Amino acid sequence: MSETQKSEKPKKELTKSQMLSKKITEDYMNEAFRAHELGKLIGYTTAISPVEIFVAHDIIPIYPENHAVANLTAKKGAQLCAVTENLGYTSHLCAYARSDLGYRETGITVTRGIPEPDLFLACNAQCFTLTKWFQVLARRGNLPVFVFDTPEYIMDKKARQEIIKYCVLQLKELISFLEEVTKRKFDYDRLNEVMKYSAESSRLYKKFLDMAQYKPSPISIFDALIGMAIAVYRRGTPECVEYYRTLCEEFQEKADKGIGVLPKDKEKYRLYWENLPVWFKFSDHAKLLGSYGGVILTSLYVHAWSFEFDLNKDPLLTLAENYVSRFSNSTLEDRADMAMDLFKRYSLNGMIMFMNRSCKAVSFAVPTLKDVLVKRTGIPALVFESDMGDQRFYSETQIRTRIEAYFETLDRLQSKVA
Amino acid sequence: MWENLSLKEVVELTKDPFPSIRKWVKEKGKKVIGSTIPDVPEEVIHAFGFLPVSLIGTDKPLKKAPSRLPDNACSLARSNLELVLSYEGDLFDGFVLPQVCDTTQHLSDIWRIHFPNKYMECFLAPRQVDRPSARYWVKEEIERLIESMGNWSGKKISNSDLMNSINLFNENKRLLKEIYDFKKKNPGALSNKEFFSLVKLSMQVDKEEFNKSLKAIKDQLKPQKGEGYLDVVLAGITCDPPEVYGLFDEIKLNIVADTLVTGTRYIQGIVPQDKDPVEGMVDRHMNRGFFSPIHDNVYRNFEEIKALYKENNAKAVIYIHIEFCESQEYDLPDLKNMLRKEGIPFHVMDTEYQTLSLSHLRTRLQAFFESLKGGAL
Ligand code: SF4
Ligand code: SF4
Repeated sequence: MSETQKSEKPKKELTKSQMLSKKITEDYMNEAFRAHELGKLIGYTTAISPVEIFVAHDIIPIYPENHAVANLTAKKGAQLCAVTENLGYTSHLCAYARSDLGYRETGITVTRGIPEPDLFLACNAQCFTLTKWFQVLARRGNLPVFVFDTPEYIMDKKARQEIIKYCVLQLKELISFLEEVTKRKFDYDRLNEVMKYSAESSRLYKKFLDMAQYKPSPISIFDALIGMAIAVYRRGTPECVEYYRTLCEEFQEKADKGIGVLPKDKEKYRLYWENLPVWFKFSDHAKLLGSYGGVILTSLYVHAWSFEFDLNKDPLLTLAENYVSRFSNSTLEDRADMAMDLFKRYSLNGMIMFMNRSCKAVSFAVPTLKDVLVKRTGIPALVFESDMGDQRFYSETQIRTRIEAYFETLDRLQSKVA
Repeated sequence: MWENLSLKEVVELTKDPFPSIRKWVKEKGKKVIGSTIPDVPEEVIHAFGFLPVSLIGTDKPLKKAPSRLPDNACSLARSNLELVLSYEGDLFDGFVLPQVCDTTQHLSDIWRIHFPNKYMECFLAPRQVDRPSARYWVKEEIERLIESMGNWSGKKISNSDLMNSINLFNENKRLLKEIYDFKKKNPGALSNKEFFSLVKLSMQVDKEEFNKSLKAIKDQLKPQKGEGYLDVVLAGITCDPPEVYGLFDEIKLNIVADTLVTGTRYIQGIVPQDKDPVEGMVDRHMNRGFFSPIHDNVYRNFEEIKALYKENNAKAVIYIHIEFCESQEYDLPDLKNMLRKEGIPFHVMDTEYQTLSLSHLRTRLQAFFESLKGGAL
């Protein structure tokens, strides 16, 4: 779900955190490509999945979503998706899956690619698409798939306890599954250690996202999307903690100096974004919004990795509690509360709701969530439909016009208040 | 109301059963609980004294649902939401909505928000069935449903209430199975449309009454092999609008096996009665046939269809694809390839609940079977 390897050469001098991110990513991919040599297995998994168990068992997690993001951001989406559609897949499946299957057919990628899987872990707290996509890949190599089934975290308290029990049971099954595949005993002490790193990096990641509360905000969602990559694929490691410590220091310094994404007097609209970004347009969107004094600060999506692991609890319990309660597996009412919390804490005064045809898991909620949020905040919303990665479903003029009209509305409202 | 129906009346009612349900409910003073498919244990709802009604879409125009859902939400979800938002919502006292895929999961949230004053419960079916935790979870969910309905209605049910409902529902499925077995051998006596209407209506009306019609219909069936029929397997989730069955009848296809939720997967739901009723319903859940969103065995779909084709000596497999059903769409290309590799003729029909004209489907279906008949049959 996040950006990993970029092909372009950086133009500016890299910050300490950027250098660290580059090194962590390179080391990670180098190790992954040598996995079998090192006697390790490659486990494909979903961006939201209890990867701590993989890390503790020395399985190298690979996220086909991350790889897809790199290709979609580099505008390879339409080309790769078309290849997949020629295989008989329909054009409205998730563009991550379609571009990934296209990559596997053609080898086209803007990165060095990703190593082939040995096994799969699909956690449906994120979506069911990934389960189906992984099943397609599993059939190609006759490989095992473990579905970590996380029922929706419905609001009933008693039901929640039962859901968590069921998830803990499954995590035990996952461990047995891994023991069987690797013929190695699972080491719970190692899991405890991994959990410490994961808890700490998640805490720091959240602190980093919360920099959006400063005025002007030193962080935009653009920073968050780049910044979340390491949380997605390296959580559970000491280098992940180091990265977020560095990142927090850098952004704290900006905040302390009053350096914002936009200068204080230009920062008029602090925006909420619903859904994943339009990857191939995101920097353009940031520039366009900036020209109206708007900056997108946050979304529930980037917060999906700010876990709050409780190290006083059994690791399997705190893992279950955290993974099952991600926004993507929460009820609409809970999602609205989570978004409202961001509106309040970050003083947001605008919202862009993206109906992403790729991601039904998030987009189903959009029309209703929009109504609820508009009602609860009194702030108008901009809703637009497109696709996060397939340019064929993106209409530049239409979206520009909508954005312009939206800012006109916000301006009008603001001048009325003034 | 439903105890004395002729086959013709059943087919008529299946088109729109709701006026008759309204009338029945008024007469009996019973509460109605709607469920989308699949796998809600209807026996529990019945044991509480309510009428369980499966919601299987509508062909009436879409008015409100499109603005609540993404454009590419599956046709069944759109159609079902429309059914309750615009047409039949007031009939229901509550809903039990199963969650199996992203669509059903998020749809149930939207549904709940639109009906704040009705009873609303989810049935969180496990989306894996091969591990022991799945069994544990189905049991938890059935028990949670019993508790939740009890809290809502202020009633308590005993094991014998549950057993009585299981008895009745099993009887319904046994009757359907007998009729299906007869129909397979006697396509001239009972059309596809008639048989699958019997199944569909079974999922929507009072079984106690309808079983009487089923018995009478069964007893009146006279063997009639008919001529020129071609035996086929029907695969998919649902098959709508019902006119699609009419198409099969028109070109003399005889469905001898199927994997539909509104077909064999329903009939298979006979609950073992030699044990505790909840355990029995759990067994049923674990043993039912393939359903893409809940099966984690990635080959089972293929194996099951292949087995049905071979056992029944069928001549082709027809696959009903529901527009924008993600689950099906991830499975289909591989399924197609695997079956073709086995030399099994395979035809996909793209269906949509709001379809008004079937001419396109008819032309393609005819072309497929003409080429098949011209081949090595
Ligand atoms: S459907 Fe949504 S959550 Fe799932 S892989 Fe695609 S973008 Fe990610
Ligand atoms: S399984 Fe397919 S048809 Fe059924 S609700 Fe999900 S997407 Fe729709």
